[in-house]
Amino acid sequence: MPADDKTPADIATAAREALVRVVRGAAAYHLNACVRCGLCGESCHIYRADPTPENLPAAKAAKVASHYRRYCTLVGRYLPRLVGARDFTSAALEELVEAVYGRCTGCGRCGLHCSIGLDVAAIIRAGRHVLASIGMVPDGLQRTVSNQLETGNQMAIPRDELLSTAEWLSEDLKLERGDEAARVYVDQPGQRILYLVNPREVKFFPLSLMAAAGVFHAAGERWTMSSKFYDVTNYGFYSGDDDAARELTRRVMEEARALGVQEVILSECGHGFRSFRWEGPNWLGQEYPLPVRSVLELLEEYLAAGRIKVDPAKNSARVTLHDPCNLVRWGGVSEPQRRVLHQVVQDFVEMTPNRQDNFCCGGGGGMLSMSEYGDRRVASGATKAEQIRATGASIVATPCHNCADQLLELSKRYKLGVEIQAVVELVYSALL
Amino acid sequence: MDPWLSVSIRLVALLSSAWAAVALTVQVLWTRGSGRRDYSRPAGSPWRAVWYSFTTGMMPARKESARLHAAEFALGLVLHVGVLTCLLGLGLLVASPTTGIRVLAVLRIPAAVALLAGICLLLRRAISPVLRRLSTPDDYLAILATCGLLACCAFLPVDSRGQLVRLVYFTALLVYLPLGKLRHAVFFFVSRGNYARRLGYRGVYPPARAATE
Repeated sequence: MPADDKTPADIATAAREALVRVVRGAAAYHLNACVRCGLCGESCHIYRADPTPENLPAAKAAKVASHYRRYCTLVGRYLPRLVGARDFTSAALEELVEAVYGRCTGCGRCGLHCSIGLDVAAIIRAGRHVLASIGMVPDGLQRTVSNQLETGNQMAIPRDELLSTAEWLSEDLKLERGDEAARVYVDQPGQRILYLVNPREVKFFPLSLMAAAGVFHAAGERWTMSSKFYDVTNYGFYSGDDDAARELTRRVMEEARALGVQEVILSECGHGFRSFRWEGPNWLGQEYPLPVRSVLELLEEYLAAGRIKVDPAKNSARVTLHDPCNLVRWGGVSEPQRRVLHQVVQDFVEMTPNRQDNFCCGGGGGMLSMSEYGDRRVASGATKAEQIRATGASIVATPCHNCADQLLELSKRYKLGVEIQAVVELVYSALL
Repeated sequence: MDPWLSVSIRLVALLSSAWAAVALTVQVLWTRGSGRRDYSRPAGSPWRAVWYSFTTGMMPARKESARLHAAEFALGLVLHVGVLTCLLGLGLLVASPTTGIRVLAVLRIPAAVALLAGICLLLRRAISPVLRRLSTPDDYLAILATCGLLACCAFLPVDSRGQLVRLVYFTALLVYLPLGKLRHAVFFFVSRGNYARRLGYRGVYPPARAATE
């Protein structure tokens, strides 16, 4: 919420300045192009679950557009009613919070199917940027950003906890692989890759991290994590706080340089991939000195080069794949995970639709951090739940830990009876 | 038409065309901002993506909104093709009245068909509770203005008085074009192209395979 010492006029001025700053470059193109035809509804998982006018993507974009018209167009300035232009009043800002944080995950599916070709998600993010600049990010989401900035990871996991988790995982891995070299490496300079993980892997799902370590060991990879900056997520991207997003990116790239690695590999995380691979260099305003790839691309490379041997019979259950929006629709990584799964599972079946056309599971956009929208989040997963049910799969592979959390909840709520696994876990299970 | 009046109204139409062109160019340049270089390493071809986006990507097979709303999609297409054709015809009337009159005579029926499509879309906007809530007065003004243009082209006689009314209407429409919703005539291309380039750069567009397989 906005700082108490600011008057409504101060807040409106700050919001206006942020809006003018952020829309130039892309969002304003789209703000000028929307014709409010209303054909976008069925493309949105939130609208499909609850077809109220407020959930229509065009209606969410219109909230941002109304302020754009007020402050950035001639008619909006002098004849605001004609074009539905609105001032940044307290009520309008509250409505904007609800529209851009509470009713949109920024998944981009509506944009892909827009009759005009609007990047609705860019408009929504412009709205988030405005709100972040005046301190109106919902508390749960802001807390996650603050955790990341203050502690280096979004779950505020102390360094000792990471080290002890790495230690016991290493013990288990040595036993499983029968090799002293099989372990979770932390703060080892001079390795080939720096591996970033979702802190959720450290805190709640360490077997995912162990699976990655096991695959790296099998491939003879030289790798390490950093105990300072190992978090692949970037909640500044979600909240719309570009300064925070830039700082989080900078720290990781500095750490990669300090450790002397040749490549940064991103664990299975949709928005983490998008943030580091695509948005990061632009936040920093410079090219990265080293490549940044998804672990999926690395796994595909291992299999293609014969660096790991697998037996798909070890994964005999039917497996389907959920496409995380930020990885696939925004990140362009749609095929490596498929080529990997075709080699490591026996019975792979696609969801329909899939790849760029997939439906958001409902857990993106920082939704998992905003408890006030929890019911809507789970309800909005109804389309995804039906997609999963139609495949008859008993395992859903998803290369995103945020999606995995949401899919676990959907499985319970919609009684899907499916297990959720990361792709690397299936690869590890299939190792010979 | 009186030669002096003909020259005058054509000159005013030219000036309003210039106004629309300059105002829209300024808007596009302003919205573009400056120095928006992408520092990430490319994974695909932006231009192939733009080509895809303006061709296959607009087909109902690839665009869910068109597939699920085939009637509205078809009406929209008819309206836009009709408006574009009539604008070109009126442009010809300004540049070369003799040719323009001949072309506009041929365009009467297409303009009437497009007008019908426009009226259907106007009614849809007025009747649908969701669209009514979403709409601003400018949304109605824009479609009324284009329907008026189509009506001029469809029903006005091809005589000097008809020409005068058409040109006056054309001039007024061009003045309004950069100010309200009708500016999507330009921003449609800018917006779609920008989005496609971004997705192409990342290797998202064109899609590797059909998503429904």
